[in-house]
Amino acid sequence: MSQSLRPYLQCVRSSLTAALSLSDFASQASERHNVPEIEAASCPEVLLNPLIVSRNENEKVLIEPSVNSVRISIKIKQADEIENILVHKFTRFLTQRAEAFFILRRKAIKGYDISFLITNFHTEDMLKHKLVDFIIQFMEEVDKEISEMKLFLNARARFVAESFLTPFD
Amino acid sequence: MASQTPAIVMDNGTGFSKLGFAGNDAPSFVFPTAIATRGGVSGGGGGSGSGRPAIANKPSYLTGGSGSGGALAAKRGTEDLDFSIGDEALAASAGPGYGIHYPVRHGQVENWDHMERFWSNSIFKYLRVEPEDHYFLLTEPPLNPPENRENTAEIMFESFNCAGLYIAVQAVLALAASWTSAKVADRSLTGIVVDSGDGVTHVIPVAEGYVIGSSIKSIPIAGRDITYFVQSLLRDRGEADSSLKTAERVKEEYCYVCPDMVKEFARFDREPDRFLKHTVTAPNGRSVTVDVGYERFLAPEIFFNPEIYSSDFLTPLPTVVDGVIQQSPIDVRRGLYKNIVLSGGSTLYKDFGRRLQRDIRHLVDARLRASEARSGGAKSGGLDVQVVTHKRQRHGPWFGGSLLGQTPEFRSYCHTKAEYDEIGPSIVRRFALLGGPGST
Amino acid sequence: MLLLDYQNVLIQSLLTERFSGASPVSIDQVVSDFDGVTYHLSTPESKTKILISINVRCFKELVQYGAQDVLEREYGPYIVAPESGYDFSIQIDLESLPADQDAKDDLIRRTSLLKRNSMAAPFERAFDDFMQRQEEASKFTRESAPEGVREGGEVMAIHYRDEEAIYIKSSHDRVTVIFSTIFREETDRIFGKVFLQEFVDARRRAIQNAPQVLYRNEPPLELQGVRGLSDGSNGEVGYVTFVLFPRHLTPQRRQETISHIQTFRDYFHYHIKASKAYIHSRMRRRTADFLQVLNRARPENEEKERKTASGRTFRVQG
Repeated sequence: MSQSLRPYLQCVRSSLTAALSLSDFASQASERHNVPEIEAASCPEVLLNPLIVSRNENEKVLIEPSVNSVRISIKIKQADEIENILVHKFTRFLTQRAEAFFILRRKAIKGYDISFLITNFHTEDMLKHKLVDFIIQFMEEVDKEISEMKLFLNARARFVAESFLTPFD
Repeated sequence: MASQTPAIVMDNGTGFSKLGFAGNDAPSFVFPTAIATRGGVSGGGGGSGSGRPAIANKPSYLTGGSGSGGALAAKRGTEDLDFSIGDEALAASAGPGYGIHYPVRHGQVENWDHMERFWSNSIFKYLRVEPEDHYFLLTEPPLNPPENRENTAEIMFESFNCAGLYIAVQAVLALAASWTSAKVADRSLTGIVVDSGDGVTHVIPVAEGYVIGSSIKSIPIAGRDITYFVQSLLRDRGEADSSLKTAERVKEEYCYVCPDMVKEFARFDREPDRFLKHTVTAPNGRSVTVDVGYERFLAPEIFFNPEIYSSDFLTPLPTVVDGVIQQSPIDVRRGLYKNIVLSGGSTLYKDFGRRLQRDIRHLVDARLRASEARSGGAKSGGLDVQVVTHKRQRHGPWFGGSLLGQTPEFRSYCHTKAEYDEIGPSIVRRFALLGGPGST
Repeated sequence: MLLLDYQNVLIQSLLTERFSGASPVSIDQVVSDFDGVTYHLSTPESKTKILISINVRCFKELVQYGAQDVLEREYGPYIVAPESGYDFSIQIDLESLPADQDAKDDLIRRTSLLKRNSMAAPFERAFDDFMQRQEEASKFTRESAPEGVREGGEVMAIHYRDEEAIYIKSSHDRVTVIFSTIFREETDRIFGKVFLQEFVDARRRAIQNAPQVLYRNEPPLELQGVRGLSDGSNGEVGYVTFVLFPRHLTPQRRQETISHIQTFRDYFHYHIKASKAYIHSRMRRRTADFLQVLNRARPENEEKERKTASGRTFRVQG
């Protein structure tokens, strides 16, 4: 793990743990409704201050807490257009399976690649610190996966090119 | 692209895949839905360790040399190209180093990684087409979960960029295939499909193009069981050769369905020329002769009298078909009785359809008479029972796909790549009904 | 599968089966091959006479470059008048096959290469032209060569697909084959760029004797004056140039070279797709991993079945 990655993840971890103090909160706007306030955004008094943890301009995390839900959006490192397309493909693949991921938001917040939405119902039936672990592990592995895929693509391209040109030899 | 490219029809069954171009009367390729991959039989989805293949991150000048080969492929992380499908896969798995996998189980795709590669090879090696230029018609079993459709679409559109996609239910295609039969007057998509392949026999009611999922019945007797039955008869008689292969040949070449088992035994005793001889030529050139006797009519008889073969499944096929229709909504039953369509290799025996029709009619007539008697004098108008046999039975679903895939309006029923990009995989949850009411 | 076959597998297997003495049946199949080529295999007259027709979208251009001669050389006695709707037909009579097994195999091989042979003419012409020029040029030193010799021949264009074409140009020391490529999909375009970069680099790194490959977005110099080219300003169209050197053009090598270079586009696209398939399978595994991690967050409160002494079960009302 590189020098700047550790404090970055550590910071995300603590901010997230702090933000995940959620409680059941009935909607004030309409009776007998219970919606994630961060998504509804109808009552400004229950929204807390959003916060950006940023490693550099390409990698940052936006945490938007509220009384009963937290929205976490991640911008994944993309150095060039190959990584860009790979990130796009991968996040699309994941959101396609959002059903299985419970906390995955089907659409990312503008300016970010992938978003999660954790509500008080999630924290009630899942272990909070494990949820944080998941987010952190996701951030770690996604970078690794993207760079591995990029490596693969280059290796494959080289192999394919050489295989095609060899018979001419 | 030019509007001339024919649509590609792929019917990936549990046992065999049928591939070809729409408009043809037979699939261009029929081979086992099998894929042989490097490194033996892996643990499927989980895999060992991290479960990810190693990545070649060494530049090629370090691994040295040029040229391609198995050993080199392993070093460069190209194992995913080292595989074969179909008959070649079976041949490869017989040798060392390769393990065989069957990506389709019970009609549904189980292993998407293997299926994706299977399709890739089907398209580029066998069909030899650029998927961007062609529309695709794929099939699915009845009751296929919509997630499977979405996965299919994801692969077809994202990996292969195919121009357009239509996914049809096999039973509906089998009904469409029966339109070639002279007996079929109106091209309706209401009917019952009796689909008997190698592993299992399904009885599927379809009403106006939609499968009545709640009334589907499966019978655990199909082609493979008939082969085993023939084999056991040969063994009992102590024939010179009673291998599975011989049994299969006997089944395919000599078997037929008789009207009455007891009379047929008597007939065999009266006419000795009904006993035949089958010559088996071994690969080493020697040939043996095998007598073919009562199994000629006994083998397919297990559909109608399962007790002669099986001890746990005892309901004859006609009773099952009748039961399925009785379970279906009352307003479609008449249509179902009128259009019982056969599909699959195990329905090809001579007079199979005739016997099925007769037996079902007996059941229906008996019921009608009973209710007439109970009602005290009311007369029934009778019920028309018709079993449709036709020439394209063997690859019924494929042929139905070929028939519908060549119609001019086929493309308008497909979802295109542009639509997929706009809406996403969920688009394939719904397809307009091809060949349904309103289309020609 | 690494390299694509040159021959059409269906034709090959079908003829092999027929030639081996299987009982004749009637055939009527329309099948496709790469690049919009369509075959029609049929037995219109009798079951033993197999008619094979091919439709190539750029057949007119090919004829201009001498396709008829090449096909006549390859299929001589089997050629019949083209079936309507198709460009070229051959008919094989199963009753008058060559007796010799090798000759039979050769016929199968040649027939399954029908597409390859139809497209071969411009390549052959360019290679012949190159031989001539080489001979001519050898009479002069580099400086004194007359304009005509250094210039090279005409550019032959084959519009083998709607939006893509092959251009062939011969000169006294090389034959240049240029593929114009276009990608309609963003992912493919980027993957394609990575692949093409490696094609360009491969020669420098590993295979010194391979043809030189160049890739650029604007039409290369060789195509100056050819009409109907996109100027590449929108970055969609690319031009891949293969420079074939004399060592690739020797009479012993040329047939192989022609077969191989024809498969370039489809090979290239096949591998882009295969890579995507591989990336898909990686993503599937990674997604499964992530799911596993997430599921760890669920406390294991699997309710244990509780039994009374008599063996009956009950559930605590929660």
